[in-house]
Amino acid sequence: MSGLELRGVVKRFGDVVVVKQLNLKVAEGEFLVLLGESGCGKSTTLRMIAGLEEVTEGRVFIGGRDVTDTHPMDRDIAMVFQNYALYPHMDVAKNMSFSLRISGVAPAVVAERVAAAAKILNIEHILARKPKDLSGGQRQRVAIGRAIVREPKVFLFDEPLSNLDAKLRSHMRAELAVLHQRLGKTTIYVTHDQVEAMTLATRIVVFDKGQIQQVGTPAEVFNNPANTFVAGFIGTPSMNMFEVVAQVRNGELRLVGDGIDWAAPQWLGAVGVKDAQPLTLGLRPQSLSAGEALVNRFTLRADVVEYLGTESQVVGVTQTKDERRISVIVPGDARAMHRQHVSFCFDPSALHVFDKGSGASLRPTINDTLTYTNKEMTP
Amino acid sequence: MKRSIAAASLHYAVLIFLALLCVMPIVVIFATSLRQQVQIFAEPLNFLFMPTLENYRAVLQEDKLDRYLFNSLFVGVVSTVITLVLGCMAAYGLARFRFKGRTTIAYTTLLLRTVPLAVLAIPVFVIWNNWNLVNSLWGLVLLYVAVNLPFTIWLLYGFVLQVPIELEEAAAIDGCGPFRVFTLVFLPLIAPGLAAASIFTFRIAWNEFILALVLTDRHTRTLPVAASLFITDMGVDWGKVMAMGSLIAIPPLIFTFVAARQIIGGLTAGAVKG
Repeated sequence: MSGLELRGVVKRFGDVVVVKQLNLKVAEGEFLVLLGESGCGKSTTLRMIAGLEEVTEGRVFIGGRDVTDTHPMDRDIAMVFQNYALYPHMDVAKNMSFSLRISGVAPAVVAERVAAAAKILNIEHILARKPKDLSGGQRQRVAIGRAIVREPKVFLFDEPLSNLDAKLRSHMRAELAVLHQRLGKTTIYVTHDQVEAMTLATRIVVFDKGQIQQVGTPAEVFNNPANTFVAGFIGTPSMNMFEVVAQVRNGELRLVGDGIDWAAPQWLGAVGVKDAQPLTLGLRPQSLSAGEALVNRFTLRADVVEYLGTESQVVGVTQTKDERRISVIVPGDARAMHRQHVSFCFDPSALHVFDKGSGASLRPTINDTLTYTNKEMTP
Repeated sequence: MKRSIAAASLHYAVLIFLALLCVMPIVVIFATSLRQQVQIFAEPLNFLFMPTLENYRAVLQEDKLDRYLFNSLFVGVVSTVITLVLGCMAAYGLARFRFKGRTTIAYTTLLLRTVPLAVLAIPVFVIWNNWNLVNSLWGLVLLYVAVNLPFTIWLLYGFVLQVPIELEEAAAIDGCGPFRVFTLVFLPLIAPGLAAASIFTFRIAWNEFILALVLTDRHTRTLPVAASLFITDMGVDWGKVMAMGSLIAIPPLIFTFVAARQIIGGLTAGAVKG
C-alpha cells in the first residue's frame, strides 16, 4: 500500500491561510494532478506532502503511515522541482546516484540502478556531463532520473515542465505519461497548465484560494464542472458566461437576459429552478455552430479570427447593450467571417447552468446528462 | 574614430599610471633589499647597482627566524580556519533563517570592522591581559578571528544567497540531514566565497603589525614584528627590513594564487533554470 492521504490539512503563514481544511485520498498508483492558478496553494500542499513545509493543522499519511512530523528523508518520496535543482558540482551520474550513495547502497547496485534509469530516460550518453553543459530538456530528464533511481513510494512533481519550450513540453509530457504507465507509482503532480492536467491525470484536483473546488477525472471536470471557477478555468478558450434569470412562460422554462431568450436544457426543470431565479450560464466555445439550425441563437460581430489550421477561433462581441465578448471554435478556415455579423446557434443541452449566488453547478452528474441527451435523441 | 583613439590612449595612460602606483613600492622594496646599506641613500638615486643577496643571508641567519615563521603560520592558518568555519555558519544563518533582529545583527557586524585596528590596541591589551591571553599565540588567533569575522560573514552572505534553496530541499528529500546538506551540497557551492574569504583573512592575520607588536613577546612574535627589530636605536637597517619584507610577502602570495584558482565564476550554473 503506497497511497497517500491528507486529513484536515491547514497551512497558515502568520494570519494568512494558504491551504484551508484539505481532505484528500490518493489511491496507490494514481496520477493525481493538483491544478490551479499561481498562489492558489497547490505547491504549498505538495511541499507539505514532501515535508519541506510544516503542516499547521491536520495529518499527512503516506502508505498508511502518519508522516506529518517526519523529516523529508524518511518519507520515502522523490520530488522533481520546477527549476530542476540539480547539484551543479556533480556530474549527471553523481546527481542521479546521490541519494543512494549517501544511504550506503552498494556501489554495484548504485551503478545498476543509475544505468537502468538512464536507459529509461535516454540519457546514457550524458552521464559524465555537468548540469551546466546540458540543455533544458536534458536537465529535466536528469531531475526525473534522480527521482526514479530512489524507487520511492510516491513521486512528487512541482510544475516540472513549465520551464521548457512548448515543443519540448509536449514531448516530455508524453514521456511522463509513458513513465507513469511503466513504473505505476503513486504520483502527485502540480501544474497550472490544464493541458498537462487533462492529458496526464487519472484524477484532477482543481484548487482555488487554498480550497479544493472539484476532484474528478479529466472528463468529469471538463464535462461537469462543479462551479463557475472550474468551468472558467478548465478548457481553452475559456467557457463563455452569461447572466440570466429563469422565466416560466406558457409552461415552458426560458432563460432570459440582456439580448437573450433561450430555451433551457430539459433537465433544468427537474432540478427545482424557480421562476425569476438568477442564474449563470456557461457555454463552451466548441459547443457553438455557425448558422441557425439549432434552437438557441445569437449574433456576433467577429472582431478577431485566428486560423489554427484545422480550426479557427473566432472572438467577437454580442449585439447587445453590454457587448459581451464571446469565443467560438469553428472547424476549418473561418477568416471570411472577419468583421462580419455572424449567427451562431447551439443545442440547449450544451448549456452549463450555475446558481448565480453560490456559483455551484445545477447540472446533474455526467451520467445523468448523458441519459437526458439520449432521451432527446430518441424519436 | 580619431576621438576614440585619443580616448583609448588616455584610458590606457591612466591605467598604466595606476598600475605603476601599485607596482612601484614593491619594486623599491625588492630593489632596496638587493643593495648594501651604503648604496641605499646614495645621492643621486642610482638605478644601476651591483645586486647583493647579503641582506637575505643576514635575515635568514637571524636567530629564531624559524620560530617567528612558525608563529606567523600558526596564527595565520588557525585564525583563517576558525574564521571560515564560524563565518560560513553565521552567513548561512543570516541568509536562511528569519529571526528577530536579523538585519540589525547583519549591519552591526559590519560596523565593527570600520574601527581602525590601532584604536583597538589599548582596550584589547587590557582585556587580553585580564584573560591571560597576552604573549600567547591563541590570544592573537582569537583577536584575528574577531577582527576578520564580520567581513567574512558579509562576504559569504552574498555567496549563500546565490545558492538556490531548492538544492538544499532536494538534498533533504534525497536523504540528507541538516549537517550533510551543509557539508555535501552547500559548502562545495560556496567554495569560491570561502577561497576569497580565506585570502582576505589569511593576509590580514599574516601581515598585521600593530596588535601583534602589542600582544606578543620574543617567543610569540610574528614575522612583521620581527622585521621591525631591524629598526633600532642605532639606526634602521633598511636593506634587512626590505629583505625581510620581500620574504614575508612570499607565503601569502603563494596562498593567494592557490586559493584564487578556486574563485571561478558560475559554480552554481546549471543548478536551476536561470
